Amino acid sequence: MSQETPTVFVIDDDPSVRDGLDSLLRSVGYAVACFASVREFALVHRPDQPSCLVLDVRMPGPSGMDFQAELAKLRDPLPVIFLTGHGDVPMAVRAIKAGAVEFLLKPFREQDLLDAIRAAIDSDRERRAGEAALAEIKACFETLSMRERDVMAFVVQGRLNKQIAAELNLSEITVKVHRGQAMRKMKAATLADLIRMADRLASPGVKKML
Amino acid sequence: MRRKRLTFPIERPLLWLGLSLFIAAIFAADTVTDREIAFAVLYVAVILIAAQSGRTRFVASIGIGCAVLTVVSYVLTTHGDRQSGLVNGALSLLAIATTTFLAIRNETTEARARQALADLAHMARVTTMGELTASIAHEVSQPLAGIVANGHAALRWLDASPPSPDEARRALGRVVTDADRAGEVIGRVRRLVSKSPPSRDRVDLVQLIDEALVLARAEIRRNRVVLRTDYGTDLPRPLVDRVQLQQVVLNLVVNAAETMGGLETGPRDLLVSAASDASKITVSVRDTGISLAPMAIAQVFEAFYTTKPGGMGMGLAISRSIVEAHGGTIYAALNHPRGMVFGFTLPLNMTRTA
Repeated sequence: MSQETPTVFVIDDDPSVRDGLDSLLRSVGYAVACFASVREFALVHRPDQPSCLVLDVRMPGPSGMDFQAELAKLRDPLPVIFLTGHGDVPMAVRAIKAGAVEFLLKPFREQDLLDAIRAAIDSDRERRAGEAALAEIKACFETLSMRERDVMAFVVQGRLNKQIAAELNLSEITVKVHRGQAMRKMKAATLADLIRMADRLASPGVKKML
Repeated sequence: MRRKRLTFPIERPLLWLGLSLFIAAIFAADTVTDREIAFAVLYVAVILIAAQSGRTRFVASIGIGCAVLTVVSYVLTTHGDRQSGLVNGALSLLAIATTTFLAIRNETTEARARQALADLAHMARVTTMGELTASIAHEVSQPLAGIVANGHAALRWLDASPPSPDEARRALGRVVTDADRAGEVIGRVRRLVSKSPPSRDRVDLVQLIDEALVLARAEIRRNRVVLRTDYGTDLPRPLVDRVQLQQVVLNLVVNAAETMGGLETGPRDLLVSAASDASKITVSVRDTGISLAPMAIAQVFEAFYTTKPGGMGMGLAISRSIVEAHGGTIYAALNHPRGMVFGFTLPLNMTRTA
């Protein structure tokens, strides 16, 4: 299995459903890890790869719904697909409102499950890519000196070098140099790139840096 | 030789006539005889007979009628002592009033109790059905989910290049196991329905039917159905599950009453009969409601088949299971000139244990 193989986690207390899902999902090309209970799953170390969770609702111990709430509390972004033997509409609404990708009834249609898993894995991959990009921007930003950060803050607001110089009480030449350094260190090819990066750094959920 | 019984006599025209004659006789005697002879006390008997109808308004109007007649008699009577006549008349009125009051109160309480009992029985039935269905659905959906997953997996393993026959074989093995599991669930449900209870009793069928009719009484009255029963004498006592068979009779009777309740015109007669020959006992419920089409008659015992707006289509299906578990058969046929006959037969000399 290559590094890129997405992983599907399955939590279901029914061994035959578990084995069936294991075989089916492996045959489609996913890496699969099955667990009989929420507790077992909580103990494992998850690989750093796109993944999703196929979760039964009614199980001995904490229920699937409880576990989804638990994940949300821990800010764990793992996408969840519910698979249940006896769901009703309120239950499905609750699950989807809490962020589940899909709520499927057993016996499910194969295509429905595979579509849901693909969507979940895709969204997880996207999230991971976004996070990786943000981490890189942050790393670059860390290398900026205090002056360069100040200059960058004004630049992304669209101020002219002359205005920045006046604001920071510097010569226009010095501002130009700091600005060039900031662009280089941030690996920004254009001013637009730099503005986008600044936006990402300022976006909600990211620790205030600018 | 047959025993014929009339369960609700007041609903028969002949008894109406009898009651009227009785009232007329009392009135005549009360009027013709001296004032101090309180024939009017006999009106109490009239009220007690009327109370059998179970209709409070009817009882009340009879009571008032009797009181009025008593007063009219007193006025019309010409002989006898006026003073003691007045006292006796007042006593008669008091007796009539008290009897009417007690009869009405008694009937109201009884009606309330019956209604509560019927509600309870209905609740219990609905709840049990709901729980049973949910539980069966869950029990079957698990192995089905396994079959779906494993079946598709097997196909994919075989279609893969190169194919993995071992993986496919393992998946197919699980398909078989799951299918067996689903089959077991169904077998369990079947055993649940047809389960022979630990005690199968020799039961007096007439008593069993009468008890079921008591439970159905509210429904029969509500739909203004005239009930008659016709039981053969010396019916053998079959070995049955009393509660289950009562459920069957109750089902058939309530169905018939509800069907006739929807009639615009025509008689609403219900005849429940029991008869036996050398080999079997037959219980039948004959109504003058709607005649079903031959197609419908063929389907009527199937689960989820219903002609009632809110019906679940389980009553007759369950009834059939019960009757068949007793080794009997359930049937439906057209009644003449209209309506349906539903009934069942129970074999005699049942040696089977199932």
